[in-house]
Amino acid sequence: MLEHIPVLLILAPLLAAFLVTGLAWIQSAYCLPLALAGLLGSLLASIAALHQVMAQGALSYEMASWPPPVGIELRIDLFNSLVLVVVSAVSLINLVASWEFIKREFEDRKETFLALYLLFVTGLLGVTATADLFNLYVLLEITSLSAYALIAMGPSSRAPLASLHYVYLGVIGASFYLLGVGYLYIMTGSLNMGDIASLLPAIWSSQTVLVGFVFCLVGVWIKMAFFPMHIWLPNAYTYASMTASRVLAPLMTKVMVYVMIRLMLTVFGAQYIFRVLDLGPVIVWLAVLAIVAGAVMALVQRNLVKMLCYIIVSEIGYMVGGAWMGNQAGMTGSILHLINDALMTFAVFLAAGNFAFKLGELRLENLRDLFARMPLSSAGFVLAGMSIVGIPPTCGFFSKWYLISGGLQAGQHAYVAALLLSSLINAILFMRVVEYAYFGEVRTGHGHHGGHAHGGEMDEAPVAMVACLLLVVASLVLVGLYSESIVSGMIQPFLVRSFV
Amino acid sequence: MKRIGLIVVILCGAVLLYATRDFPAWGDPASPASTHVSPHYIEHALQETEVPNLVTAVLADYRSYDTMFETLVIFGAGVACFLLLRSFGARRREGWYVRHIPTGVVIHFRKRPRIPHSRFFERLDTEWVPHDLIIMTICRILLPFIQLFSLYVVAHGDFSPGGGFQGGVMFGASLVLMAISFDLRTALSRVGERILALLAFLGVVLYGGIGVLCMLLGGEFLDYSELAKILPVHAEEARALGMIGVEVGVGIAVTAVMAVIYVNIASAGRHDEGL
Repeated sequence: MLEHIPVLLILAPLLAAFLVTGLAWIQSAYCLPLALAGLLGSLLASIAALHQVMAQGALSYEMASWPPPVGIELRIDLFNSLVLVVVSAVSLINLVASWEFIKREFEDRKETFLALYLLFVTGLLGVTATADLFNLYVLLEITSLSAYALIAMGPSSRAPLASLHYVYLGVIGASFYLLGVGYLYIMTGSLNMGDIASLLPAIWSSQTVLVGFVFCLVGVWIKMAFFPMHIWLPNAYTYASMTASRVLAPLMTKVMVYVMIRLMLTVFGAQYIFRVLDLGPVIVWLAVLAIVAGAVMALVQRNLVKMLCYIIVSEIGYMVGGAWMGNQAGMTGSILHLINDALMTFAVFLAAGNFAFKLGELRLENLRDLFARMPLSSAGFVLAGMSIVGIPPTCGFFSKWYLISGGLQAGQHAYVAALLLSSLINAILFMRVVEYAYFGEVRTGHGHHGGHAHGGEMDEAPVAMVACLLLVVASLVLVGLYSESIVSGMIQPFLVRSFV
Repeated sequence: MKRIGLIVVILCGAVLLYATRDFPAWGDPASPASTHVSPHYIEHALQETEVPNLVTAVLADYRSYDTMFETLVIFGAGVACFLLLRSFGARRREGWYVRHIPTGVVIHFRKRPRIPHSRFFERLDTEWVPHDLIIMTICRILLPFIQLFSLYVVAHGDFSPGGGFQGGVMFGASLVLMAISFDLRTALSRVGERILALLAFLGVVLYGGIGVLCMLLGGEFLDYSELAKILPVHAEEARALGMIGVEVGVGIAVTAVMAVIYVNIASAGRHDEGL
């Protein structure tokens, strides 16, 4: 069975999605255990894949036993095995943490929601594991389609409209990507990433290849909400159901960053990207813009979730900038930050979800007295915030370190300055939340007597939610402590062929 | 904003045109697209899969993994429609409408009427729909032929243009036609919501199941040649049979999803008389 691991990690949630839709009409009590089993299966398979890749190098799986350019190949190497583990772990933990939410928000259609959730995860895993450009597009469609529906189901009456905006931009992004793939197919006659990579050097000077590349890139940028193509993201994730945004926010954009780096390094090659094209400086400037704009827009938000959404926009800027720096440190930082940011965003959204479970809408003013009422969730939130700001024992610090050293090596001082500025703004943002949550009463001066004792009664979110949050926060510190071995054991061996 | 949009569109068009200067000539037999991978399909598909229709061979065998997810896109669309639109809550009614079928007369009752259960009366919803004998009769005659033809398209996908998607859409269209010409409730009384959901499930499970079966028999996922171990045929023919199997799965799933989408959109999820 071991040789089937690459496909098993996709099939586990997929078959679970099928069975959940079927069982929903027969015996709906089995749906949740089945969904959990599917996600757990895919987590175990991804860990096994990671283990095998570490031991014996990249795994290749020839779908239907047709060899690569003729058939479809799944290929798992050091880079995507890491992403696969993160995707499957985050989606599993989120389902455990959010089950109370799902029960509350979708009483009569929990099973359908579960099926779409599983389809979404299947799509993400498929996008990450595939080595075929067209297959990537198909799975991207699965992911986006289920994401549109998950967002539109949000409790807010603005959710359908936010989802509709996302549909428009998502479809445009997918079309750009598909056009790009079409152009590459015209010039190479192949869809397999490795095969295209071996055919491209002969036609590096072709304008069609250039336009194909740019179109793929723009498509992926729209999907990852790279400024100024981010406009769909804040509303979509804010008005979606918390269950959905907790999985969408950490994973969707990060997997698209993964796709961008995969296109850059595996399909087109660092040689073409940085030597032949030399687009790097322009795109790093775009990233600087994204970082600053995201941070500034986060500063003016009064809604906690929306503020976090703009932080994501800014983080996307970090990763794009690092990847286009054109040196190994920048790319290492970008990949490490991809992993870290998935976990950090997940942690803050888990905490925000816990708050929302008790408080409803998360306007900053509603957060008063939160430390007394939900001490564990608030502590988790603060630690996750520290990681986003980049305070040493947490993982955010280490990836920012690599990003900054990459920026200094490349002489991109504007990028370094933007990164430091946005970290500073992040610190202000989280301090402001803490101020409301801890000192809320002092600031407003509502000195109602006994109010503290009344509002200060502990009213923590359900155990599963808090436990999951603490688990993820602990992983932030763990990943931080082990980031040295992640970099030297996985990221650098992966990058070694690209940057010589 | 509109102007910026226009400029962006023109720019994109210009970039696309700029890229065409490097294109291989139209229909050039020496272009990469027709010399790299496609010759393999053209030269070997018939021996390797025993399916004369190359398009089917590429879709359902060489790239069957893609096609499985294409089916899933449709399946997902059906699930999404159901999730977003279906409303189970009881609706406040303004009286009850009952139609006397032989005369087409509609009677309005304030309270729930006591009408003997017979084929002469049917309950209507507050959105009244005209009742046309000619349309109903013509559609009743047409329906079996449409369905028969769609089954032919599914079954003959290996040899001629056609396949699961096309056949499934036609069969689904026949259900939609029934819902339009009679009414939604009539169509749903023939093929209920639960049956549609189970059909959609059955279709995708048939596809995925064949793939998993191949894996259990010792091959790669969706490697139909492994089916030769349990079927009395040789490996190439097993591939053809596997393709028919997945095409049938696609057909069933697409039929059901077409109907689910129509039913939910037409009645805004209430499953009453609809359009």
